[in-house]
Amino acid sequence: MTEVSLRSLQKFYGKTAALKAISLDVNHGEFVSLLGPSGCGKSTTLKCIAGFEDITDGRICFDNKDISRKLPEDRDIGMVFQSYALFPHMTVTQNLAFGLEMRHVPKAEIAQRVARAMEMVQLTPYADRYPKKLSGGQQQRVALARALVIEPAILLLDEPLANLDAKLRDEMRGFIRDLQKRVGITTIYVTHDQNEAMTMSDRVVVMFDGEIAQAATPEDVYNRPASERVARFVGNANILDLPIARTDAQGTTVTLPGGATLQITRPAPSGQSRLRVMARPEQITLTSADLGQLPGRIEKRYFSGGHVEYSVATDCGPLFVTGPTTQHFAEGDSVGLCFDPARLWPLPDAESAQ
Amino acid sequence: MKRFRATLLIVPTAALIFFFVILPYVTVLLMSFRAPADGQPYGQGFSLEGYQQFFSQPYYALSLPSSLALGMATTFVCLVLGYPIALHIATASRRWRGLLYGIVLSPLLVGIVVRSYGWTILLGNSGVINSSLRNLGLIDRPLPLMYNNFGVILALAHVFLPFMVLPLLSSLQSIDPAIAQAARSLGARRFTIFRRVTFPVSMPGVQAGCILVFVLAISSYVTPSLVGGMRVKTTTLLVIDALIDQYQWPFGSAMALILAVTAGIVVLIFARLTRMKWT
Ligand SMILES: Nc1ncnc2c1ncn2[C@@H]1O[C@H](COP(=O)(O)OP(=O)(O)OP(=O)(O)O)[C@@H](O)[C@H]1O
Ligand SMILES: [Mg+2]
Repeated sequence: MTEVSLRSLQKFYGKTAALKAISLDVNHGEFVSLLGPSGCGKSTTLKCIAGFEDITDGRICFDNKDISRKLPEDRDIGMVFQSYALFPHMTVTQNLAFGLEMRHVPKAEIAQRVARAMEMVQLTPYADRYPKKLSGGQQQRVALARALVIEPAILLLDEPLANLDAKLRDEMRGFIRDLQKRVGITTIYVTHDQNEAMTMSDRVVVMFDGEIAQAATPEDVYNRPASERVARFVGNANILDLPIARTDAQGTTVTLPGGATLQITRPAPSGQSRLRVMARPEQITLTSADLGQLPGRIEKRYFSGGHVEYSVATDCGPLFVTGPTTQHFAEGDSVGLCFDPARLWPLPDAESAQ
Repeated sequence: MKRFRATLLIVPTAALIFFFVILPYVTVLLMSFRAPADGQPYGQGFSLEGYQQFFSQPYYALSLPSSLALGMATTFVCLVLGYPIALHIATASRRWRGLLYGIVLSPLLVGIVVRSYGWTILLGNSGVINSSLRNLGLIDRPLPLMYNNFGVILALAHVFLPFMVLPLLSSLQSIDPAIAQAARSLGARRFTIFRRVTFPVSMPGVQAGCILVFVLAISSYVTPSLVGGMRVKTTTLLVIDALIDQYQWPFGSAMALILAVTAGIVVLIFARLTRMKWT
């Protein structure tokens, strides 16, 4: 198992910066996802680690050894591409054996290891098929096995599930996660699907415009986002801009339109008269109009199987709320909204965060 | 009714194929079995004389293997020269690619006669190369660069190089660049990637280019007659000779058919040998 660390990694394409001095440490056996919108530099980061792109500045270390100048073929990485990049003229067996042949592993051992890898990804019946004759999910598993059979120091995956349909994607998600835990390999996974990043990773690295906005556990990224942009990118976020009534040792008290107060157990940034707080849709509950802390009116109602989603018009603007299917509110109903102060997250002020 | 109308849609294509492919072949086939005649292109009745004449006289019969050898040699030279060119264009930056494309295609814009004549100026006994070497005192007799297989193969390869480069290029450009990266990440070095991945994956282009150049080379007339100066006898030259100079249509047709069938067989064998199970 290997530790990967990026130290002030910079990448310029001509004059445009694709990566602006990012630093990141990935621990032994950790599964880290790079999450961000298109063009934020996720693939570039991965290509730099793999060695397909020369870095402009900074260092890349595996186990504290600087490998920034090494060629890709000497870096000992396993890589899975979005297009799978299987060798079309080789059977599944030959695809898996390729990396071992490059390492001059004895023939008998190659056969053994290929067989084991094939079993691991449940492809034994397809050993002699060519990639064109395999389904997308099967090709995906060949690509995964081909990257793992060489027992590389680290595993890099660039949107490996992007070309699969939703059902298969869910299946492969669990499959990759289990496999990674079993093998215990340090893994960096690129995706722009926040669901994928959340469910699979030990840690999620949210990137915007070539910079790391937050690197934290999925829970922290979701419940305690580092900025409003992270909050909005990862899941649905209701942002309420509320006046501060009082700040003391217990935390900060804010006032909702209508007069109700909420005590947030965290101090507000000093010198501010207003506080922006984030509430996730499932952290707000709907009650009858006379009971809530904030009055509202149901604008839209969407039934989505397991729960119901509402868009509620309030004096804080439209809020997005999810509720249980056992509760029924119709469009046009007047409702009350209740907040759990312990789960409200004060966002750092946009200016002060810069 | 609907079905009938749908069937009508294939009529234009079928007519085209009939008039431009099937009919000419049938005409040539019939002509090849006609009886020869004096002072007339062909006589009454049918005979096998055209075929007999070809196979019984070494002058004609031996032109077939030498034509095939000439075609194969030209194909080989085109492949060896064309592959690096195609590879270079495929990996060049976009700005260079346009220019290189133009350079490769430019021979097609100059007529085949002009290009072949150009080679005679270069290769002739008092041509540019020989007279330069003589003036430098390096040789005292002209090198045999023309009027032989060497000159013809060289000129043919030049004439048909674009037909090798284009299919190779389209094949190379359709290869996912991630494939080479995958091979690198698995530990393969440049030459290994070429030998084990890039070249085998470009095989459909190699196959198409070779077949195209081979067929064009063995049926070419202008280049062998200009550069070979009638001293290199290809079957195609003999066919033209029989049809136009000797005015013997049945014999010319028989030779043309023999060449076409042999070339077809060679192409089939080649396709069989280079068959790709993975496409
Ligand atoms: N070869 C290149 N030449 C010039 N600019 C490039 C090149 N590759 C990437 N870029 C630029 O670098 C930035 C980051 O690109 P990158 O491919 O890393 O994005 P990404 O986060 O992987 O996006 P996506 O989700 O769309 O794959 C983009 O603005 C892109 O335009
Ligand atoms: Mg990308």
